[in-house]
Amino acid sequence: MNQTMPAHVKNIHPFAHYVDRLLEGGTLLPDTPDNVLEVMGALDSYGVVLNRYSINLIHIADHQFLNLFPVFKYLDGEINPAKMWQHFCHDRINYEYAEYTMKAMMWHGGGGLDAYLDTDEFRENCQVAIAAKIKFNPMLQIFHRAFPEFLIEQIRQLAYYSGLGQFWRVMSDIFTSLTDRYLRGEIKHIIQIVDHVKDGLVADAARPITYSVDIGGETYDLLPPSAGLTFLPDTAIPYVESIFFRGTPFLGTVSYNAQAQQISPDKSRFAYGALYADPLPVGGSGIPPTLLMQDMFRHLPDYLEAHYLKTDRGLGDVRVKICASFQRSMFCVTNAALIGLLPAGAGATEPEAVAANREFLQGWMDRLAASQLEQVQTP
Amino acid sequence: MMQSLIELSWLIPIYGFLGVLLSLPWSMGLVQRTGPRPAVYINIFMTVLAFLHGTFVFMGIWNVGGVELEIPWLQVADLSLSFDLDLSVLNLGVMELSTGLSLLAQIYGLGYMEKDWALARFFSLLGFFEGAVNGVLLSSSFFLAYFLLETLTLSTYLIVGFWYAQPLVVKAARDAFLTKRVGDILLLMGVLGLASWAGDLHYNEMYEWVKEANLTPLTATLLGLALIAGPTGKCAQFPLHLWLDEAMEGPSPASILRNSVVMTCGAYVLIKLQPIVILSPVALAVLISIGTVTAIGASLVAIAQVDLKRSMSYSTSAYIGMVFIAVGAQWPGVAIGLLFTHAVAKALLFMSIGAVINNSNCQDITELGGIWSRMPATTIAYVLGGAGMVGVLPLGGFWALQLGIDFLRREHPVLAAVFLVVNALTVLNLVRVFRLVFLGDITPKTRRSPEANWLMATPMMILSVFVVLLPFVMMRMALLPPLRYWHPWVFIALVVSGLLGFAIGATLKLNRSLSRSTDRNMRMLQDLLSNDFYTEELYRVTVVFLVRQGSRVVSWFDRYVVDGAVNLVGMASLMGGEGLKYSVSGQSQGYIFTIVAGVTVLGFLMTWAMW
Amino acid sequence: MLSALLLIPLLGALAVVCWPTKLTSQQAKNVSIVFLVLNFLASLYLLSQFDLSVTGLQFQESVPWLETLGLGYELGIDGLSLPLLIINSLLSLVAVYSSDADMRRPRLYYFLLLIITFAVAGAFVAQNLLLFFIFYELELIPLYLLIAIWGGPQRGYAATKFLIYTALSGILILASFLGLVWLSGASSFDYSATMANGLPWIQQAVLLAALLIGFGIKIPLFPLHTWLPDAHVQASTPISVLLAGVLLKLGTYGLFRFGVCTFSEVWVDLAPYLAWWAVVSVLYGSLAAIAQTDMKKMVAYSSVGHMGYVLLAAASANPLSYVGAVFQMLSHGFISALLFLLVGVVYKKTGTRDLNVLRGLLNPERGLPVIGSAMVLAVMASAGIPGMVGFISEFIVYRGSFVSFAPQTLLCLLGSGLTAVYFLLLVNRAFFGRLASTESQTGVQDPVLPVVTWQDRAPALVLVALLFVFGLSPSWMTRWIEPTTTAMYDAMPVKLDRDRHPAYRTSQLLDAPLGIADASIDVVTCSNGDCAL
Repeated sequence: MNQTMPAHVKNIHPFAHYVDRLLEGGTLLPDTPDNVLEVMGALDSYGVVLNRYSINLIHIADHQFLNLFPVFKYLDGEINPAKMWQHFCHDRINYEYAEYTMKAMMWHGGGGLDAYLDTDEFRENCQVAIAAKIKFNPMLQIFHRAFPEFLIEQIRQLAYYSGLGQFWRVMSDIFTSLTDRYLRGEIKHIIQIVDHVKDGLVADAARPITYSVDIGGETYDLLPPSAGLTFLPDTAIPYVESIFFRGTPFLGTVSYNAQAQQISPDKSRFAYGALYADPLPVGGSGIPPTLLMQDMFRHLPDYLEAHYLKTDRGLGDVRVKICASFQRSMFCVTNAALIGLLPAGAGATEPEAVAANREFLQGWMDRLAASQLEQVQTP
Repeated sequence: MMQSLIELSWLIPIYGFLGVLLSLPWSMGLVQRTGPRPAVYINIFMTVLAFLHGTFVFMGIWNVGGVELEIPWLQVADLSLSFDLDLSVLNLGVMELSTGLSLLAQIYGLGYMEKDWALARFFSLLGFFEGAVNGVLLSSSFFLAYFLLETLTLSTYLIVGFWYAQPLVVKAARDAFLTKRVGDILLLMGVLGLASWAGDLHYNEMYEWVKEANLTPLTATLLGLALIAGPTGKCAQFPLHLWLDEAMEGPSPASILRNSVVMTCGAYVLIKLQPIVILSPVALAVLISIGTVTAIGASLVAIAQVDLKRSMSYSTSAYIGMVFIAVGAQWPGVAIGLLFTHAVAKALLFMSIGAVINNSNCQDITELGGIWSRMPATTIAYVLGGAGMVGVLPLGGFWALQLGIDFLRREHPVLAAVFLVVNALTVLNLVRVFRLVFLGDITPKTRRSPEANWLMATPMMILSVFVVLLPFVMMRMALLPPLRYWHPWVFIALVVSGLLGFAIGATLKLNRSLSRSTDRNMRMLQDLLSNDFYTEELYRVTVVFLVRQGSRVVSWFDRYVVDGAVNLVGMASLMGGEGLKYSVSGQSQGYIFTIVAGVTVLGFLMTWAMW
Repeated sequence: MLSALLLIPLLGALAVVCWPTKLTSQQAKNVSIVFLVLNFLASLYLLSQFDLSVTGLQFQESVPWLETLGLGYELGIDGLSLPLLIINSLLSLVAVYSSDADMRRPRLYYFLLLIITFAVAGAFVAQNLLLFFIFYELELIPLYLLIAIWGGPQRGYAATKFLIYTALSGILILASFLGLVWLSGASSFDYSATMANGLPWIQQAVLLAALLIGFGIKIPLFPLHTWLPDAHVQASTPISVLLAGVLLKLGTYGLFRFGVCTFSEVWVDLAPYLAWWAVVSVLYGSLAAIAQTDMKKMVAYSSVGHMGYVLLAAASANPLSYVGAVFQMLSHGFISALLFLLVGVVYKKTGTRDLNVLRGLLNPERGLPVIGSAMVLAVMASAGIPGMVGFISEFIVYRGSFVSFAPQTLLCLLGSGLTAVYFLLLVNRAFFGRLASTESQTGVQDPVLPVVTWQDRAPALVLVALLFVFGLSPSWMTRWIEPTTTAMYDAMPVKLDRDRHPAYRTSQLLDAPLGIADASIDVVTCSNGDCAL
């Protein structure tokens, strides 16, 4: 779905009107009261859920370091019967989804974090930490000697745990402050949501991404500040690329059969991400985002629940509805990212700058051609 | 205590079904606010219960010998059906194996399926599997075995169809059900024959009956063929084998069970039926032919597969083909040894490749590579699983194969050669897959390959250890003959065949791209094998064609001849033309009048005598 | 006691129609439900009072009526009619419960439904030929009206076809009854199984033929079945439930009680041909079902196929097959009622039954997941998967008929296989895959189906539970049936004798030594005493 239009037909690009709309200060998502309500409701609950995801991912990265049997990794260190019973009853956040996202992001790679994990410097950091960690574990020492990449690959994964956790920390805060503004009545239009997210991203763009663990009272840097990893280019952009755009094929809708060749051998041509996914199968088997929708359902703000209750099935198909609303909200986030990344800045007026911006946006529109963008235009 | 545990053994199959029942609130979607995991824990707990109960009973009868448990079910006229269980050492041993594998597969499944929301349904189905398989394995009544085998057909349909929204899954579930159904219907014919002629469906009574059975050769042959048809479908043997390929669309944890436990279960019934099948030499010959064709054919097809799961599933068919050969040649001991070792090793192999698939989102072996150092548990599981299956000393597969070759070579040297060829081809395939998936360079899809999560890795490690220990277990279960019967030439032949396969597999030029060979003949062979000898086409032009055309003809006949004649008569006589066809409800008063008038006249006629 | 089962629905019908104040649709429904619940409880009470040790009729009631005509109010039940009576009470309740809440002309609708309950119960308990016939005809009129007034777009055609066919059926049955009474010189129409004894073979054959065609229309058997698919497709769901669940059983019940037992001498001579007729019916119905794209039509044709098993079992004429015949009637009653109920819910929610349109109804959020799961179980029960009632009833049928007619039985088994084919196509097409937009929602990206309420699900779930109850514990069913059918078998003056009829030779494929006459072989098949030499 990544076709590029020949230069001479660019003016009749099927999605040119979206580009025009964005350049004129509009938004990808139409500005209607229902959209504002749905997007705000979705971001409200998403902010709450992300907060928990982020805490847990960072907990696992920091406190379950090279623990091969992390039985209680979702308990965030609070191991008591009440909490265990709650987890037994599955009365909890589905942290599996956070891990699923982390693995997808790691698998697709991209950005400075991914590149740093392949450097010799990182390898050395790892070796030091591993040596400290398995000092009294001869079994693991043998394993480490026989399979030298094993533990290093585990630490790469832990680095992603931490990286995604830090990324979501920022996003959760952005959404929470947005919710506060909405509840104060300050948010009336989609463009305000987009601006809020964009400002949040810009404000934290250079926030450093680091990761260090504590082993035996000593701190080991795995992603040291000196690596120079920062929020926007090294986590946010790879996140958008791998989760919003590429994603991974859902077992519930796509066949993994090699002979059927339904999955492209080229990862960059994957189009299974959040902006492309079909909301209708959500809730069924083999559709991982159901977990996120369930988590959001459990933290759904009253106004959105009331809004859903007005529809035919009420809360009967709530996960599909949340997914549709969530998708709308993710178009707002994408919108914010696009505006923030415009090569000539958002308010440019000189023809050349506008042309550059147009060029940039059209490139993205090519990728959005097969997404749910058209579907979210209708109420 | 022990006595009551033995008497309560009927609970062992029930535990699985109980889990299904207790999971209903979650699998039916009655619980909305919280997640489905309690259903998972319930089912795992039930499996643990079944396993522990089985273990105690096993220890209880170890010294005293087998116990029969009578469970009458239905008594109508001269038909008497019972669900009797036979708690023998062997039955319980196989049952323990299947429950153990089921337990490991469930724990593995919890890791593999952690991002799936329909866990309750999935684990209910696994629980159902486990219950039904245990019942089949413990049954002393063929009726119970048949009863549960058919429910396994349903649960296969449901579990292959688990991801019901995926188009290929829909097709796979359909084909799995219908193919097995063909076998089931033929088997039912056999059951009816046995029930009518032997009068009793207990294995022991039937074995007695066979001694004095007086059937014509034709009847005996038809009976024998009907009896082997069921296992042929269940065990994916030629020509009813294609469903297994398609069933690989289903979730990996279920594939683990399908390729080990469920296959074992089908073949185990065949072993129990063997003393009856001997009534017909033709049926035995057919059994051997089916086994041979499948063993060689499926081994070759496996080598041409690019799909990781499929290349392993064909090797399952090939191994059960050898079991068929052993049963046909009347060496049930060999068959059981092969089943035992294959089940454990294949389960381990499927766990390993499941871990690879889970990480790489990819089943295409040409797109994988270089993960051995990153995923030690997975790699060890693959190596041990593969080695435990083929003739690698001193693991289980070696003993099972050498026993088979040793026995077969005396009367059927050709069949012994088949064993050697299958061994060589299997080694070749395993080495080929190992090189493509685990060795070589990292590919884009395996660039980040952390070891599978602990819920998947732990069962893999446990089962790896068990594969190593399996020869001792077999020794304890008396599945290995004493040393003095072992023949050096058999040893050498087996080792050489394995080495040959290894050498070819290790030196074969492997092409990572999907390009086909330039040599025309080679290309045809490649296509023939990768398309599974065009079996699907074969189905299409035979059975499917017949049923489809039959239904078309009948439907046409129904519409234009039967109904047409009626309408013609109706039009001509009763209503006069269009009235019948296009009457509208406004005329209903007219009809009521007609009926009332008719009934009045009728009533008048009937009561006429009174007036 | 039996009169109570007739009076309750009749009073209910009168209550609905004569209710002094204005009745809304819902109120009329509630009134009917109250009466039918009472009726169901009464039938359960009957069950509890039924004496299993008595093989003949029980709860007999006899009131002289029109003696000159030989019409008497003779009631009584045995193990053959008792389960049918109960299933009638149950399915009537289910039908009324699953009727739409806002029904046009509710008074007439519920009145007619209750009259059907009354008439069917009457037919099952009547022990006077003329009384049976009156009830049998009485059920026809309300059913005709129910199809003609509340049916689908082609209801007029379907209803008229139904009427003509069943009227013809009635005439033939009446003719046979009259002939029987006149020829046997009986003084009244009071039924007794020995009535036809002593009549010449040819007279018996003609009378039986009339009965066969008459009841064959009702069952229905090929080629007398064409009214059924049309009637089902045009009828509303509750009517289909009743039609498939109970009314078809009037045909098999009549054939069994009045044909098999009365004319056993001719019956056993015709048995091989009847078994072949059953084979044709089974395969014809199954093959025709495969080609259907309308779910309801598919289920209707499957009825043609599955009712053929009853004929097969009846033809096989041995104690086991008789149990099978009755059990199969009941199991088909449960399964087909459930299938029609579920198809009805699908139709109500999606507005279509077209298998080319429906997709992905299992979608847990926007589809009909519980209904879909019940559908999977229902079709599996119909295809004879063990654990559910369809398997064991068919198994008894097959096992019973195999000793009498092996080739026919094996061919009928193919029908079981074909059942799996068409029903799997149904489930796969309509319930698997991505939920599709239906016609009324064309252009809608994400279709939303109306909510399925527990009221929609409850009757289906009750029937699903019954499938399992009787599938796992079939003796709860057979214990009522067996004493009666065994007594019936014992009372047959002539048993099915394998060597009597030349046509029987054709069915000895499996045990006849090919070419060589070896008499000792034949003994094998009969060694278990099944063929009652």
